[in-house]
Amino acid sequence: MSPRRAETGGRIDRLRTIRFTFDGSPYTGHAGDTLASALLASGVTLFGRSFKYHRPRGLLAAGVEEPNALVTVLRGEVREPNIPATMVEIYDGLVAVSQNRSPSLAWDIGALNQLGGKLLSAGFYYKTFMGPVFGPLKGTRFWMFCEHFIRRAAGLGKASIAPDTARYERMNAFCDVLVVGSGPAGLMAAKAAADQGARVILAELEARFGGSANWSDETIDGAPAADWAGRIVGQLEGNDNVCLLPRTTVWGYYDGNTLAALERVTDHKEVPAKGEPRQRSWAIRAKTVVLATGSFERPLVFPGNDRPGVMLAHAAARYANQYGVLPGERIALFTNNDSAYRSALALKKAGAAVVAIVDVRSDVSNEMSRLASEAEAELLAGHAVVATEGGKALTGLKVQRFDMMSGALSGDERSIHADCLAMSGGWSPTIHLASQAGAKAEWDPAKQAFLPPQPTQRWIGAGAFTGSFSTAQAIAEGRAAGLQAAGGSASSAPLPVVEAAPGDPDPAPVFEIKAKGKSFVDFQHDVTAEDVRLAHREGFVSVEHLKRYTTLGMATDQGKNSNVPGLAIMAEALGKPIPEVGTTRFRPPYTAVSIGSLAAERFGDLKPERLTPMHDWHIANGATMYSAGLWYRPMIYGLPGETVEQAYVREAKATRESAGIVDVSTLGKIAVQGPDAAEFLDRVYTNMFSTLAVGKARYGLMLREDGLAFDDGTTWRLGEQEFLMTTTTANAGKVMQHLEYFLDVIWPELKVTVTSVTDEWAGAAIGGPKARAILAACVTGTAVDNAALPFMGIVHGRIAGVPVVICRLSFSGEMAFEVYSGAGYGTRVWEALVEAGRPLGLVTYGLEALGTMRIEKGHVTGAEIDGRTTARDLHLEWMLSKKKPFIGSAMMDREGLISPERLQLVGLVSLDNRPFNGGAHIVEELDEENPHDSIGHITACCYSPALGKYIALALVKDGKARHGTRAFVSDPLRKRFGPIEIVSNHFYDPDGSRMHG
Amino acid sequence: MVERQSPLEPVYHPGSHGNFEHGIDVILSETRPGSILQLAAWPGEEKRLMSGIYKVTGLALPDGAGGGVSNGAKSAFGFAPGKFTVVDEAEGLASAFTGVLTPSIGTLTDLSHGRTAIRIAGPKAEWVLAKFFAIDFALPAFPLGAGRSTNHHDIFAQIQRSSADQFDIYVFRSFARSFWKALCHASEEVGYEVQ
Amino acid sequence: MLITCPYCGPRDVIEFTYQGDGNRERPQPASQDLDAWNAYVYDRLNPAGDHNEIWQHSGGCRAHLRVVRNTLTHEILSTAFARGGHKTESRS
Repeated sequence: MSPRRAETGGRIDRLRTIRFTFDGSPYTGHAGDTLASALLASGVTLFGRSFKYHRPRGLLAAGVEEPNALVTVLRGEVREPNIPATMVEIYDGLVAVSQNRSPSLAWDIGALNQLGGKLLSAGFYYKTFMGPVFGPLKGTRFWMFCEHFIRRAAGLGKASIAPDTARYERMNAFCDVLVVGSGPAGLMAAKAAADQGARVILAELEARFGGSANWSDETIDGAPAADWAGRIVGQLEGNDNVCLLPRTTVWGYYDGNTLAALERVTDHKEVPAKGEPRQRSWAIRAKTVVLATGSFERPLVFPGNDRPGVMLAHAAARYANQYGVLPGERIALFTNNDSAYRSALALKKAGAAVVAIVDVRSDVSNEMSRLASEAEAELLAGHAVVATEGGKALTGLKVQRFDMMSGALSGDERSIHADCLAMSGGWSPTIHLASQAGAKAEWDPAKQAFLPPQPTQRWIGAGAFTGSFSTAQAIAEGRAAGLQAAGGSASSAPLPVVEAAPGDPDPAPVFEIKAKGKSFVDFQHDVTAEDVRLAHREGFVSVEHLKRYTTLGMATDQGKNSNVPGLAIMAEALGKPIPEVGTTRFRPPYTAVSIGSLAAERFGDLKPERLTPMHDWHIANGATMYSAGLWYRPMIYGLPGETVEQAYVREAKATRESAGIVDVSTLGKIAVQGPDAAEFLDRVYTNMFSTLAVGKARYGLMLREDGLAFDDGTTWRLGEQEFLMTTTTANAGKVMQHLEYFLDVIWPELKVTVTSVTDEWAGAAIGGPKARAILAACVTGTAVDNAALPFMGIVHGRIAGVPVVICRLSFSGEMAFEVYSGAGYGTRVWEALVEAGRPLGLVTYGLEALGTMRIEKGHVTGAEIDGRTTARDLHLEWMLSKKKPFIGSAMMDREGLISPERLQLVGLVSLDNRPFNGGAHIVEELDEENPHDSIGHITACCYSPALGKYIALALVKDGKARHGTRAFVSDPLRKRFGPIEIVSNHFYDPDGSRMHG
Repeated sequence: MVERQSPLEPVYHPGSHGNFEHGIDVILSETRPGSILQLAAWPGEEKRLMSGIYKVTGLALPDGAGGGVSNGAKSAFGFAPGKFTVVDEAEGLASAFTGVLTPSIGTLTDLSHGRTAIRIAGPKAEWVLAKFFAIDFALPAFPLGAGRSTNHHDIFAQIQRSSADQFDIYVFRSFARSFWKALCHASEEVGYEVQ
Repeated sequence: MLITCPYCGPRDVIEFTYQGDGNRERPQPASQDLDAWNAYVYDRLNPAGDHNEIWQHSGGCRAHLRVVRNTLTHEILSTAFARGGHKTESRS
């Protein structure tokens, strides 16, 4: 039997032994143990080193609020730091290590910091590392220099560098009633709501349902409370309307009664089952929430209150009752309220010697005196602990007479030999979620606690959360809350009967014993009572400033233990009552949440892939794919040994010499249908579409409301009331929303439907001198000659037995055709075209060649329609109809939009025969050392096989007037400077004879 | 008729997958209907459109937002105000609406190629779908035959409950492969079979 | 945050796209009143309190909604189709 494990008792499975390691040493525990309870049972008292001073620290708590015993859990190379040992369930093979110590937990070099304690007081970093006013380390540079060393010395666990291979996922849930917390209040609420037929979710952050019932030493309906809780859980399990979520922390309360919860699905398992996530991130939309989150016991602030062996009174009792572990053999208690007497009795029953109960109150009730004698403890009323002794474990404490009213100590110090000191500074309801949900907490002077505010969202509180600290009250409030939440009426049926030790829940208003030595308020961030007072002396009077200056409550426990004592000490320094000092608002998350769980199902798979119908063909035929937004498009179809430039030059050249084919399925396609479709397009486009004949296409330009260019594309009139609009790939979604907005909000009287048909059609653009011959070779059912299919004409026919729509239009500047077919036939049509083209020298080409040919032609795309350019800037003023208003027509002629100073689209030719870079600036005067006075920038560039030169499109101030002039490209980032000539953007075949053919 | 290519082809692996040793709780399949149409009525013409749908398909759509019905071979459901998705196992349903759906009633858009139909069935279908979509899949909230429009990040989906534990999901064809892979991944936990 | 779409019912805000201030009034298409156009395109009230907004249920039925939302509490007070018709009061 391990040194601290009691012979019997506890809710652990003594028949199951579990083996694990801590800091490399092997330990054993039992099923039901946490890492904390198992190590405590093995006699471990030292769990960690503190943040700043590297002081030895042991367990303070037994639950989620544990500030000291933070460990790192390792799974292979993956490490998760800063987990409270109290929240780690042991499993066979668990590997845990302590943190913030070097070289080992017992011998920590950083402990030398304790000797320089004064140096590290509040605001230490701010004051010391402000840096000189001038010089190489001026201002924050000094901090940046020192930070590296400080971060190594201070801090908590190390983050993992190895990639996390675990699986995470999201879960959306809806319910009538979400019950948070499964103590007696939560169980009663869940049961009452479920009995009403409501859909209930019960979330419990620990592994075991029941909360305090698991260790309270009370009986409910004549049975031990834990057995009662087990019975209720059994009933809930059998109810189809109930979803039980153990190991699930509800960590965020958001608008619309949406709550975020983290379920630790397999963190307690040696190996997860196949497909089982490590953690599941729940988004729960609840009609009503029952907050039964209980309360936290507060530490008392006195010198040496952080020594290993000093812990919260309920935690000591919980280790004894739930885990069968005695936190000490000779235990003393120190309290300002009655609840610690119950803990004393529990510890006594579990087999420990309770040597003393030190109570700050001089008048202790008869009932408490009786409990003290039942525990065979010496009762020291009107006393306080003024010091603790020991190194890595407590050996004793010193007490003195204490006057509660004045805080004065008197008389001789008396030593008490003890190896555990269990303290209670009163209880704080766990109001975090209610605070997140909205309103401010209210201070209750009798209970000496912040109580939950009036609900601003649909929640109901129950049990200790509301400040009702007895189990009987919790049961009554829980049932009432559950009934109310489920829409049921109040019940007069008898409630379960609770037998509990007596006690007045109200504590004495004592938070701190002022005596010589470091008294800790925030254990995790090493903030002492003196730090709080120092902050006050230095002028920090707002509680929000106090928090940030001292870092009180800013560690991973987020002030769960330190919040109220810290405020009380600040209030005293200010000479104000606590409610006037106020409290900080709690914000999500309630406890630490892994980044992986937030990424959830997107972890490692950030975005979906959008694939064209011919995707697999491209891959099989040597395409290098390029991700454009969510789409994947062929960049080049490279031959062995080719560079990207060589490949696109070959592809573009072949297209201009014979023919090329490119996948254009990604173009946005929107069906615009209805009696008012033509009228609608007239309003949306700058040019006319009502005059377009059926069976013809037209190039269109859209502006935004503010008159700037928005998108362009061709729109095909397939029928009197039926148009097929194409948009740029990147803007497809935006254009769709734009159209829907105007139809829904501005012109609801128009009878038009718009539907995204991007995915309905596979598109192949085939262009070049041989393009028509290739089509003629494979198209049936229609002629494709100039008469049947003139420029911008549309015909219907078949390729490989599949219906196709062919429109003659050109992006490359060659005679070209877009061939559309049902997406499911896309590859079939594509293959037929490639086959028909093979004897005529057809090449497949990718985005690079496509871009090259469009730059040669001077066509604009999203790089030029960048949200800052107007139609005139892009030389598209010929598209601005004067016969009708259209979106943007009223605003497009504003002064600033027609100024000659504006950047206009031009072409550039490299005069030093070197390539350009996108984004490079254009200057009139070259000054490599101190580049200045940009007159514009490059939007797109390439090597032009047609011209045999490096060329670019650019936006240049008053660009049209500069045609034929020289300037310089200035790209200091990439050290590219050189002479250029500014020319028209129409580099190639400016009169369009090739495409008109 | 020429066979249509499925966007799922290279990732469609019939058989049992995931944690199937502990039972198969989800069955996934691509239903490959021949016709998927989107019908929209002008305001005030919804009833005429619904009776047109009845005339052509024999499906009597219930009133109310998202109302739908399925007879196995054909199904229809509302997915937006005045708008319905109508699906048929057979190809060529669009032409059957010629003369029934006149321009005075509304419009028809053929999406037979543009949407991919994925079916998920089994006791854990709701559980798996809840991993993706923030809508309530419980039967009282999502009745038999009903349709819903929703999305998973970038992937837009129309979902019809075609039986108590079976849902038909219509996604954009270009996203179908990504969505299918994600759906398989999410189903591993409960054990799944691809049919 | 949940927004009750008059067609789809209450849905998470992730399904919606904010489409701007609902107080904007678009001048007649042929209007040449540049002040009115400026006001429509640029002037926003940014009130602390109830605010008229346009949201699109872009991840659902794609209808545009007129939403009254309190900018201080995020409470959604009412939603209605922008086209007119059914309105859902949702003040709790």
